[in-house]
Amino acid sequence: MAEKILSAKTDTDITAGDIVIAPVDLVFAHDGTMPLAIQQMKALGTRKVFDPNKVMGICDHASPSPSEKISNVHALMRKFARENKIHFFESGDGICHQLVVEKFAAPWKIIVGGDSHTCTHGALGAFGTGMGSTDIGAIMIYGKTWLKVPESLKVRIVGELQEHVCSKDVILHIIGEITADGATYMSMEFLGDTVERMSIESRLTMCNMAIEAGSKTGLCMADEKVKIFLESYGRGNEYKSLSPDGNATYKDEFIVEVSNLEPMIAYPHRVDNVAPVTEFEGTEIDQVCIGSCTNGRMEDLRIAAEILKGKEIAKDTRLVIYPASRGILLQAIREGIIETFLRSGASVGAPGCGFCVGRTVALGDGEIALSTQNRNFKGRMGNDKAEIYLCSPATAAASAITGKITDPRVST
Amino acid sequence: MKIKGKVIRVFPKDTNTDEIIAGKYKYDELDMKKLAAHAFESIDATFYEDAQKIQKPILIAGSNFGCGSSREQAPLVIKACNVSCIIAESFARIFYRNGFNVGLPLIECKGIASKVRRGDELEVDLGMGIIRNVTNGEEYKFQSIPKFMQKLVDSGGLMPYLRAQGGFSELG
Repeated sequence: MAEKILSAKTDTDITAGDIVIAPVDLVFAHDGTMPLAIQQMKALGTRKVFDPNKVMGICDHASPSPSEKISNVHALMRKFARENKIHFFESGDGICHQLVVEKFAAPWKIIVGGDSHTCTHGALGAFGTGMGSTDIGAIMIYGKTWLKVPESLKVRIVGELQEHVCSKDVILHIIGEITADGATYMSMEFLGDTVERMSIESRLTMCNMAIEAGSKTGLCMADEKVKIFLESYGRGNEYKSLSPDGNATYKDEFIVEVSNLEPMIAYPHRVDNVAPVTEFEGTEIDQVCIGSCTNGRMEDLRIAAEILKGKEIAKDTRLVIYPASRGILLQAIREGIIETFLRSGASVGAPGCGFCVGRTVALGDGEIALSTQNRNFKGRMGNDKAEIYLCSPATAAASAITGKITDPRVST
Repeated sequence: MKIKGKVIRVFPKDTNTDEIIAGKYKYDELDMKKLAAHAFESIDATFYEDAQKIQKPILIAGSNFGCGSSREQAPLVIKACNVSCIIAESFARIFYRNGFNVGLPLIECKGIASKVRRGDELEVDLGMGIIRNVTNGEEYKFQSIPKFMQKLVDSGGLMPYLRAQGGFSELG
């Protein structure tokens, strides 16, 4: 499917391994990568973007700003955004990827973000890939970039998931199997009846984590569900179906049978350290985090709220929740979900990356966190003397109640 | 292009971008020389200090070096530590692009992490695809990089390349 998109976009018949110059439909960067991109643009003596409608800036990683220095960096971004009249999203609007999903992502688009998790947008059938600030700067000027056409890795997921087993458990299991560099430079394409039954939100979680196996992008078919999803944001006209050709070639094929899959966990300090939750059951935790570009959407918050409803979190454990966007926070308020969280003892933060990058919420020395985010690298949550476990929203919510890593199938 | 230098470290496989430069520092600072003081801080407290004492440090690593985030600060702080090139078994994709974009030569050489040791003197011939280990007399071959990426190296990075070419159109 990646090859199909790039062929269509460059109007040439290409194959894996070719280097092509491709037009970019949307380029975006956040407060961790845009300031450096603006600085790198200076090398070409310009601050002017190619098309303000195709450029987006977001303050989400260290937002709302916790320090003078970061406030100055945000001010630099705002000035650039005003000068160029680009799309700009403020602290509290949400995480870059969620805003792109709601407002821009659509099948067949090429989306490049100054963030490694730009592969998220493949859940809507877009070719999304992350790049560094120099690449972002060059795209902001020219509207094009060079791409090596990736080979495809077919991941066929089959079977019915058990109750309280989420798409997060599926992707953790896959990464554990193929390891952190198992799909390097490849397009990881998620197919099979399990994926077809999944909601767009569940697919977003899987594509989001494709990078954790080294992938250039993650992709799902653009089907009727994508159409309905786009219509719900008033963008139904941007729908165009996408599916692999019958004779598509793959570097490798991997079949995952999920009927017996248990809730999974990634233990410190690597995402491919994956084991069933049951192996770590009883591990005491200091902080539980629900949110991020991986699991901060309505489906995730609903799963957590259903488990937390009428319950209180453990006395010695904190629960921190960051909805992924302003729209999600508003919807969660309407559904009474935020009230459930607050009554359970959780702290709810402004939509954004929050705890995930440790810049506005940080762990203490020796503390253990259980989070729905995508990375558990040493130091990721602001402290290299802390430990991070990754899990689904169901496991996170069940564990917040007990204060220990808990299997959501047993406790609820 | 030839690079001669001394091996400063041999890092393990999957050394990630949070280990190269922690997220807690990168949002505050656009001056890479200042940020460089925190390079590899959580896994190797004396890296920056040692890099100041070596003429042209060469960094060796296992597979998937630079996995994780897209932060270009990762290759930039390594460059700001005066590292002349990185030779790894393999690189993570975004780090690989970023390295070439900022003019830091990256070489993929299978088995390198188990063949060289900290302190070895190396001579790297990018054109010939040969690494000579002056300390023990061994030679290691590596696959030369694609032509387009060689052009990036010769130009000193993506921006100087685009300035010389007048954009991407000349390539397509």
